Amino acid sequence: MIEDWSAGATIGGKPIPALPDMERLRADRYAKIQDQLEAQGIDGLVLLGSAGVAHTSGADAPGEDAGKAGLFRSVSVVIRGESAPHLYTPFLDGVPAEFPADHVHGPLFPDLDDGIHEFVDALNSYFPAGARLGVDEQTHPMLRALDRYEWSDSASVLGASKILKTPDEVSAIREAQHITELAMESAREALRPGMRQTELSGIFLRRLFELGATANAIDPIWQVMTNTKAEGPWTTHGDLAYPISTTDQILREGDIIWVDAGICHQGYASDFGRTWVTSSSPAITERQKSHFQRWRTVVAATRDILKPGVSALELGRAAIAANDGVKPWMEHFYLAHGIGTDSAEMPLIGTDLGEAFDGSLIMAPGMVLVFEPVIWDEGYAGYRSEDIVVVTDTGSVLLSGLRYDPFEVAA
Amino acid sequence: MTGTMALQDGARVDFTRLRQERRRRVFEAAEGAGLDALVLGRPGNVRYATGARQLWRTGANPFAPLCVVIPRTKRIHLLSTWDDGIPPEIGHDDLYGMFWDPTHLIAALASIPGLAEARRVGTDSLTPFFGGVLAGIVPNFELADASGLLAGLRANKTVDELACIEVAVTLAEAGLAALEEALEPGISERDLLGVYVDTVAGLGAPTPPSESVAFATPRVGPVHYRYLASDRIINRGELVVLSPGALYAGYEGGIGRTRTAGATPSAGAVALADRCRRANDALIAACRVGNTGADLYRAWESTGERPAEIALAYGMGIGTETPMIGFGRSAGVTLHDGAVLSVQSWVSEAGVGGFLERELLRVGENGPEILTRSER
Repeated sequence: MIEDWSAGATIGGKPIPALPDMERLRADRYAKIQDQLEAQGIDGLVLLGSAGVAHTSGADAPGEDAGKAGLFRSVSVVIRGESAPHLYTPFLDGVPAEFPADHVHGPLFPDLDDGIHEFVDALNSYFPAGARLGVDEQTHPMLRALDRYEWSDSASVLGASKILKTPDEVSAIREAQHITELAMESAREALRPGMRQTELSGIFLRRLFELGATANAIDPIWQVMTNTKAEGPWTTHGDLAYPISTTDQILREGDIIWVDAGICHQGYASDFGRTWVTSSSPAITERQKSHFQRWRTVVAATRDILKPGVSALELGRAAIAANDGVKPWMEHFYLAHGIGTDSAEMPLIGTDLGEAFDGSLIMAPGMVLVFEPVIWDEGYAGYRSEDIVVVTDTGSVLLSGLRYDPFEVAA
Repeated sequence: MTGTMALQDGARVDFTRLRQERRRRVFEAAEGAGLDALVLGRPGNVRYATGARQLWRTGANPFAPLCVVIPRTKRIHLLSTWDDGIPPEIGHDDLYGMFWDPTHLIAALASIPGLAEARRVGTDSLTPFFGGVLAGIVPNFELADASGLLAGLRANKTVDELACIEVAVTLAEAGLAALEEALEPGISERDLLGVYVDTVAGLGAPTPPSESVAFATPRVGPVHYRYLASDRIINRGELVVLSPGALYAGYEGGIGRTRTAGATPSAGAVALADRCRRANDALIAACRVGNTGADLYRAWESTGERPAEIALAYGMGIGTETPMIGFGRSAGVTLHDGAVLSVQSWVSEAGVGGFLERELLRVGENGPEILTRSER
């Protein structure tokens, strides 16, 4: 049975489907890119990064370490006015069924001078000299060989085309999140004193792939929080150090762990954040319960006013007010970030971009936000979770799960 | 040696010596190339120069200035908001935090002693935006390609690096043993991937170099190499490619084998395995000091196989490295003493399936030394 989780919510008058129609998603997403190319007067895009290739082509690739993913990369070339991009890839089994066969090519190797003429010939066949092209990375062989174009960062076109999600994209994010949550439930049930962080990673990742995830995206975080900031790692700004990379650290009774993980499913990112307590029968103290309740109060304060027209600055101020005037997020992060084919993208709320930026960032239907406030109680650690919501025509809908165990049970 | 007891005396891998040697090489090479600054964005290069254990993310992420090397001051500056996972030779003063507002990142870069005065700046890649940033911070700078410089340093492995690779190979072989144990008719490719990742993570290596570790090959119709694990249920008698890898201290090891699911190999499968092994033996024999990529292409052609669908060989160290000998590239690349290569053969036959063998080897004066050990 497919759950009707969106309960009739709409984006631009269109209902959010329970499950995404991936072919329609790719067609609509590509149309948004073409609209931005047209609007910004850019002739095309040349994309080398995994997220940019997936976003423009819809092609899947196996999750890989940066070294392997860099050398054996896919390249996507988008031409303004053309109905499909040209994809250069070793991963033919990841190409969507509807992708035109004459637009699929063998891999280019932009890191190598040897064979760079194939890249040159390809772009020459698509674009005249002087064409204005967006790019996400320029290797030195590219800098030497592809100097007949006017290059700019692809981020302006992609950023503008990504900020408002279609109903299918929202549903795709929700699906990635749902798989992540199911796999995390297995890890949480397994959590016991004496386990290593890396064992939890193994349980989570195994379940993830059994459930059908396309790829994992980051090394899952199971950070044991210290009671004070000073007991944790040194930081450049004096605030909390988070997220700290997983090791084979052995977890102990009562350890408060802040979990953070994300996958890439059919091109879309998930973002799971919860606070767990290491124990075979977690007992939550009154103080810890109050951290969780404060976290819920902060999220509720933002959700209460979240609808089209409200600014990022207003959301940030509501969160601060709900936390007695203390900014409830970490100095190097944000109250909330967007999510899509990148794990953190616009809209960003509460970053060092500042109040003027936040004041000009107005919520609109189709924006997806990961709220991740942090409640810190110096001397007693704190609470952090993440809620993903989408701004709809009239308010917002939750894309992440409802439960916050073991705090949910205790609260 | 990755257990809790092995690190007390630094047996086999001396990590301090490992990092010092890499750091010394980076400064020396940068000075030798007349570089006043080196700006690195590729995670493998950053790991090589700094030894920092930073948050691992999959995929190829666009270039950002993650690390700045200044040979004159003998300092290496690193983008990190905290000191966890950062070796002691990189001090707190050498760290610059994470920013979302590019003007803050530009200010942090501009305050790195020696960068603004630089004339020749090497990078391992670039974007139009960071090209502009560099031009703003370093007036009249000359951009240099430092990607080859780093690749050259990384290709020549120290004894400590080789020890790390050997541990990574051991982990990969443990992954292979778990895959072989789990492989039986009725299991899916996804389930095999799950078994693999649980095994290597449980051994302390939770970040697979690739999630492409298992695929079944069809006995009907054309056979192609596949990368993405599917829901496909594996049938009795099918040839299944198992190609796990692992990362230890940033270094990669990997192995590839092909097994028949739940049955003894058919006569056709035995013949295919022979073809594959003959081809891989020819490639391995060609991995000699002074030989070139062209020698590997010739070795492959001498076996009568069609042009290969995947690369014949690629470098391994901190993850996958150059050279990449395949798809017609790198025929002119010379193999040097100490290079570590992943060498692989993939052959297929309609009606039978496909067969892969992948070995890791070290190119030495006495010929190739095979680092992988699992039964063929």
